Amino acid sequence: MSTDTRADEGGSLLARPLNWLETQSEEVYAYVLLAPAFLLLAVVAFYPLIETFRFSLLADAVASADPFGEFIGLDNYVDLLTGDTNFTQQFISVSTTDSFPFVEFGAPFLQQALFVTLAFAILSVLFETLIGFGQALVLDQDFYGRRWVRVSIIIPWAIPIVIQGMIFFLLFNPTIGFGTEFMQWLGVFGDNPLSSSSDSFMIVLVADIWKTTAFMALLILAGLQSIDRGLYDVAKVSGASPWQRFRYITLPLVAPALLVAMLFRTMDAMRIYGLIDATAGCETVPSLTCLVIIALQNSRRWATASAVAFLTAVVISAFVVLYLLALRNSEGGVA
Amino acid sequence: MSADPTADESADGDDPTVEMAEQAKADEPELDRGLVEAWAAKMISNPDRAYRATFYVATIFFLVTTLFPFYWLLVVALTPRNNLSEVGVFLPAGFNPAAFIEVFQTLPFHRYVFNSFLIATIATVAVLLVGSLAGYVFGRLRFRGRNAMLLLVLVTSFFPPAAFFIPLNRLFNTNVDVLRPLISAGSLYNTPYAIFIPLSAIFLPLSIFILMTFYSQIPDGLEDAARVEGTTRLGALFRVIVPLSAPGVATAGVLTFISVYNEYFFSSLMTDGRPGSWAPMLEGILRFQGEFEVLYNLMAAASIVAVLPVAILVVVAQEKIVSGLTTGAVKE
Repeated sequence: MSTDTRADEGGSLLARPLNWLETQSEEVYAYVLLAPAFLLLAVVAFYPLIETFRFSLLADAVASADPFGEFIGLDNYVDLLTGDTNFTQQFISVSTTDSFPFVEFGAPFLQQALFVTLAFAILSVLFETLIGFGQALVLDQDFYGRRWVRVSIIIPWAIPIVIQGMIFFLLFNPTIGFGTEFMQWLGVFGDNPLSSSSDSFMIVLVADIWKTTAFMALLILAGLQSIDRGLYDVAKVSGASPWQRFRYITLPLVAPALLVAMLFRTMDAMRIYGLIDATAGCETVPSLTCLVIIALQNSRRWATASAVAFLTAVVISAFVVLYLLALRNSEGGVA
Repeated sequence: MSADPTADESADGDDPTVEMAEQAKADEPELDRGLVEAWAAKMISNPDRAYRATFYVATIFFLVTTLFPFYWLLVVALTPRNNLSEVGVFLPAGFNPAAFIEVFQTLPFHRYVFNSFLIATIATVAVLLVGSLAGYVFGRLRFRGRNAMLLLVLVTSFFPPAAFFIPLNRLFNTNVDVLRPLISAGSLYNTPYAIFIPLSAIFLPLSIFILMTFYSQIPDGLEDAARVEGTTRLGALFRVIVPLSAPGVATAGVLTFISVYNEYFFSSLMTDGRPGSWAPMLEGILRFQGEFEVLYNLMAAASIVAVLPVAILVVVAQEKIVSGLTTGAVKE
């Protein structure tokens, strides 16, 4: 048994568990190796998620040492969904009326975290997909210096969020940046865009598109490069125009990769926090994650914050399910 | 008068096509045309040229939009503080390279950057170790519950960090007597642990996925050969599978390092922001928004200093980044 002597040389403290591992079935071995990963995920993700839900069912106890009060069931959720939370920034605050347009916003549109987040996610993913497709089509060509063009397109993706925020904070700072002047010249922005909700929303949107379009571009590029070039030759011979080649070959074959990329981006966009915190501030453009932090830090309402956090997770899960359904349909269509 | 230019334009648009048709028929020599007209005619007679032109315009547009903000950051950094209100679009109002030294004198910015580096390095090592074990299991072993467990790992990456933050914050602020000999305060708040533990878990799923893809491509024979030679199971993993998947390990490592270094949410919430409390680089940059005045030029200079390491990493490891991002998504 040469393995035994080898293992003994390593010291019995290490050798004993290693020897034990050798004698177990593949299944046991698999579970043992997975243990560290699941331990880490349990401490950081599974347990906190359950705790967040438990906290969200308790009452706020703003004054006492323990921030959580008695069990109140779903009251926190009811308050959030009806706009009764006593925040300037609401989760959602809509009521129905008798006359057109039948809905009424209790709080300004851009002070409602759900709408800010959804509008941001939809608009940013839309623009990033369109521009990213353009970048991917450029990178799909063979040309001199392609490597360097690719590097410069990726760099914004790789920079820290705080620096992305700094760039746009400085650009739209009225005394330093030329961004404000330029936008005023276009007639879009007011005097101090970083303290106006609608102007800041646009700034955050542009900043996000600038940084993360590269991610979309790379994923779409991978989809493009997996297409069999022979298909284009066949189409050319059959007399298909470039537009037809794009419409009937490129688009359907890229669709699955495109949808996965959009799923990743949407989830990411719905977690937006750092960029807002580093530019306009959470009070100006309250996203869902911002609302959690506002509830925690400004008013010490931990239970309400937990409810917002859990609802955020629910909203994102709903989006994931929608995308997965779309993805299944698109794959079914191709096959 | 105002109608004239539009009429001219439409004529510009129409003429060449008509002329081209005629030219094609009669094979006439080049007519006397204006520059624009001649250009348009060339484009129509040779569509590939038009695509080529669009391609160059698009490339230049993308290059300018992605790179210009960095150049302008440099413009702001080089402008002396008193001239900041006159800073231009393309040129600094003055020349003050000393800002890059002031960054380290006004605040211990090097300490912040060091903290960030340390946190990112520890997290990367932890993710690679734990992720290698899990990636090996998911990529090469058959066992009951494999798909359910893989799904559980991937689902974690869907949730927003905010959904984990409140209990973690409470947990890390709790004083644990066991930790007292290790950490003076007895709680994990204001230590690197409070940042790298949550971040390791959050970026673990992506690495597991990348490593799983690479490990599953190693032929079984190589592993079997190592086992016959008398290596232990773990030995085969770390002496055969991991070295053979070096590109995959590097990919997962680079992506994790960049992600942790760039992260904002936990990095900004898990310390009190002082350099001695292991506050990462982002707190340093935000601190230039001082009590009395905002040091805009130093903010810009600090941003450039902090962005250089990642920029270099991107240039060196761009293939790894591209392959890592795409295996993470396309293979799914």
